[in-house]
Amino acid sequence: MNAFARRAASLLLAALCLPLGAYASNQPTHEFRLDNGLKVIVREDHRAPVVVSQLWYKIGSSYERPGFTGLSHALEHMMFKGSAKLGPGESSRILRELGAEENAFTSDDYTAYYQVLARDRLEVALEMEADRLAGLRLPADEFAREIQVIKEERRLRTEDNPAALAYERFKTAAFPATGYRTPTIGWMSDLERMTVNDLRAWHNDWYSPNNATLVVVGDVRLDEIKTLAQRHFAAIPARPLPAARVPLELPALGERRLTLEVKTQLPSLLMGFNVPGLASADNPKEVHALRLIAALLDGGYSARLPTRLEREQELVSGASASYDPFNRGDSLFVLSARPNVQQGKTLAQVEAGLWQELERLKTQPPSAAEVARVQAQVIAGLVYERDSIASQATSIGMLETVGLSWQLLDQDLDALKAVTPADIQAAAQRLFQRERLTLARVLPLAAAQPTAAETRHE
Amino acid sequence: MNKRHLLLIVALLALLGLLLLISRPAAELDVPATPAAATPPSPAATPAIASLAKLNGQAPARRALDIQRWQTAEGARVLFVEARELPMFDLRLTFAAGSSQDGTTPGLALLTNAMLNEGIAGQDTTAIAAGFEGLGAEFGNGAYRDMAIASLRSLSAAEQREPALALFGHVVGAPTFPADALARVKNQILTGLELQKQNPGKLASIALFQQLYGSHPYAQPSDGTAQSVPALTRAQLAAFHGRAYAAGNAVIALVGDLSRTEAEAIAAQVSAALPKGAALPAPPAPRAPAAARQHIEFPSQQTHLMLAQLGIDRRDPDYAALYVGNQILGGGGFGTRLMEEVREKRGLTYGIYSAFSPMQVAGPFMINVQTRAELSAATLELVRALVRDFLASGPSADELARAKRELAGSFPLSTASNADIVGQLGAIGFYDLPSTQLEDFMNQVQQLDVDQVRTAMARHLDADAFVVVSSGPTVAQQPLPPPVERPAAQTAGVPEH
Repeated sequence: MNAFARRAASLLLAALCLPLGAYASNQPTHEFRLDNGLKVIVREDHRAPVVVSQLWYKIGSSYERPGFTGLSHALEHMMFKGSAKLGPGESSRILRELGAEENAFTSDDYTAYYQVLARDRLEVALEMEADRLAGLRLPADEFAREIQVIKEERRLRTEDNPAALAYERFKTAAFPATGYRTPTIGWMSDLERMTVNDLRAWHNDWYSPNNATLVVVGDVRLDEIKTLAQRHFAAIPARPLPAARVPLELPALGERRLTLEVKTQLPSLLMGFNVPGLASADNPKEVHALRLIAALLDGGYSARLPTRLEREQELVSGASASYDPFNRGDSLFVLSARPNVQQGKTLAQVEAGLWQELERLKTQPPSAAEVARVQAQVIAGLVYERDSIASQATSIGMLETVGLSWQLLDQDLDALKAVTPADIQAAAQRLFQRERLTLARVLPLAAAQPTAAETRHE
Repeated sequence: MNKRHLLLIVALLALLGLLLLISRPAAELDVPATPAAATPPSPAATPAIASLAKLNGQAPARRALDIQRWQTAEGARVLFVEARELPMFDLRLTFAAGSSQDGTTPGLALLTNAMLNEGIAGQDTTAIAAGFEGLGAEFGNGAYRDMAIASLRSLSAAEQREPALALFGHVVGAPTFPADALARVKNQILTGLELQKQNPGKLASIALFQQLYGSHPYAQPSDGTAQSVPALTRAQLAAFHGRAYAAGNAVIALVGDLSRTEAEAIAAQVSAALPKGAALPAPPAPRAPAAARQHIEFPSQQTHLMLAQLGIDRRDPDYAALYVGNQILGGGGFGTRLMEEVREKRGLTYGIYSAFSPMQVAGPFMINVQTRAELSAATLELVRALVRDFLASGPSADELARAKRELAGSFPLSTASNADIVGQLGAIGFYDLPSTQLEDFMNQVQQLDVDQVRTAMARHLDADAFVVVSSGPTVAQQPLPPPVERPAAQTAGVPEH
């Protein structure tokens, strides 16, 4: 074995030498900034004459104060209710008539608005997006109606959904020090007392060109996007932004154990460890090690949780591991599982089984075959993602909005390849500690269950 | 003072600090609020979106599809589109192997499909999964009322493509249904059935199909039942696989970085791996049920409302007219009559949608909405009235013109990605539609007039014939809030195509 080969074998993801040139993105990607601070990123993809436009704002529920939760999401709803050139609902009607797909989404760290449409009508989308950035109306009567819609959304997605309700409660304990505890849709009690003037202030504070990133992916060229961005956004003045700090959690508060009774039929377990995200990490390699740990545990049906816990031990009917490093602050490494009740397994046994997998990560390096599988999935995933212009735009916009660079996408394979088995063990040893853990036992209500739903014919 | 008390005090101090920080007005967040915006201009004075005027009125360009079709020696129908831009391909097999073929054993089609990748000669579940994942390939499967699907997405280079296809052929063509995996997957299905009981929308949907289809095979839930699933045997699965996953019952859709010669070889290889046999007959046409009203008592905050009657099969000559009619009534998102009246003007719901689901034989026409329980009775009456009005009067000329422009404008989106294209090919092949189906549909839509849409809707739907199922709590009912009145929607000024 020559020196190069030995070194390669020691690196976790460099066990195979594949022709990566064929897989890395070869789509021209450009970025520029208007004088008012609006950042624009253009990725050319000429496979079909379509384009996606996404405008991302650096504002979301993690910025919200107690008593004012749900503002970012409610404002997202009100962005469809009229601006200087547009009446309530009119932008949606115009886009529908143009055959566009459009919507918006809000999360802890961002609010984004998007349109997917035939390339010849992109300018309409940009003109309307600029109009509601600069001249949102926020009519009081529309707000009075829309807040009812938002409460229905909360009832549908959270109040009547036991898994979502349990996770919302779990997060309040897992994030004691940051706004990541706040549910994006807001607490019902805060929705009850929200006013349209709260939203006006929120829009005024955060909706400035210097707090936004425009991402355009599709059958377009840089010069045309420069012209359109200049035409529609350049006149909107920059404004001073409120200070915002990277959300940093207490690294080791101590183990938190919750018992949550919800209207569920079957028990489940949630475990979350306070860990850094890529933007808050002192040691980015540790973050990439955590990403690989999530892949080793749950990156496919041959990964450890489905193979060992679901099939070999028949301990769980399902289990998952997830880790999102792309936040503007700290993150959570989350394990969830449902005991295999047909085999009589208990939550205590599931908890022990999950800990066993975590301990194994601390003491044993992953096998060469596991490493090769993760590598193959990462490489193929880079190609598959390019089939969707929307997912390319979302990756770019999300990275930029949490304070990272879209260029990380092109460096990602190298970053993952640089992680060694020792890095994985070190990350597991430092982070999978009880003092970082929040654990929730999610149980059916002690009261009688409505299992045999009573039926009435009228 | 012992150590434990000391820690407690430290913790309390930390807590106090935390509270102080939170209760202090977050000065850095408080920038001076701007005064409320000036009175908004009246609609008449609203400046138009200037760039709308620049659209030249032509239908937008789209990615042309050269759909190539042939049959394999074993009788599988193949549809192929060459797409060389990305070094990958998508393969989707669609079988007439959904739960409408379950007969007296509900859950058979689903369980057979779920067991495809749980064992082949010499390889267990983990080995199969490791085989695909080690190549970066993605195996997918699913079973519905008409169809069962098995799919593969892989890199197109021979070193990934060839082993991925070989493994896929074994999984789809020669699964062994091992006893231990069968027991485990049955348990997982039973867990899923148990969890359905906590989902008021799912409970309503199950009851709705039973009401709508009575003794027809579409009445059964595809997932089977807690009674039927445990009794299913390996022999039943093997027999079902032998006839329902036969080459003659399969459509092979293929899109990606492949030549015609390579595509022919792949189709031939996959087809030869399948059991030999002919297409299964479609289920009989269902008979329309009497109007009905059923309520499921459930301790939720919202009441789910579902209204349905029989719709059409996929080859119905009224397909285009009904698609457009539904698109105006409640199809898609914002701007439909139902969304405008129920959500936008009254704030009753997060979403209301209507849809025809055309199937091998008449699939359902369904309307789906959720609202706070105390307004559910009034909401149901509002929806009934809106549908009644639409069926009686049809769309306005303006609504129809907007729907035509919408469909012409969205056409390029339907073939933008390989994933989009393979889905289109699967549907064209499964329902045996012409290769020009996408263009034909667009032409039919553009030629419709108001009366054709109104008559088609009225021919297939009857405002008094709905089967209605609700699930939610029984609470005292309240009247609807008054609607916000908005100026009537104007045509956006989008040029005609």
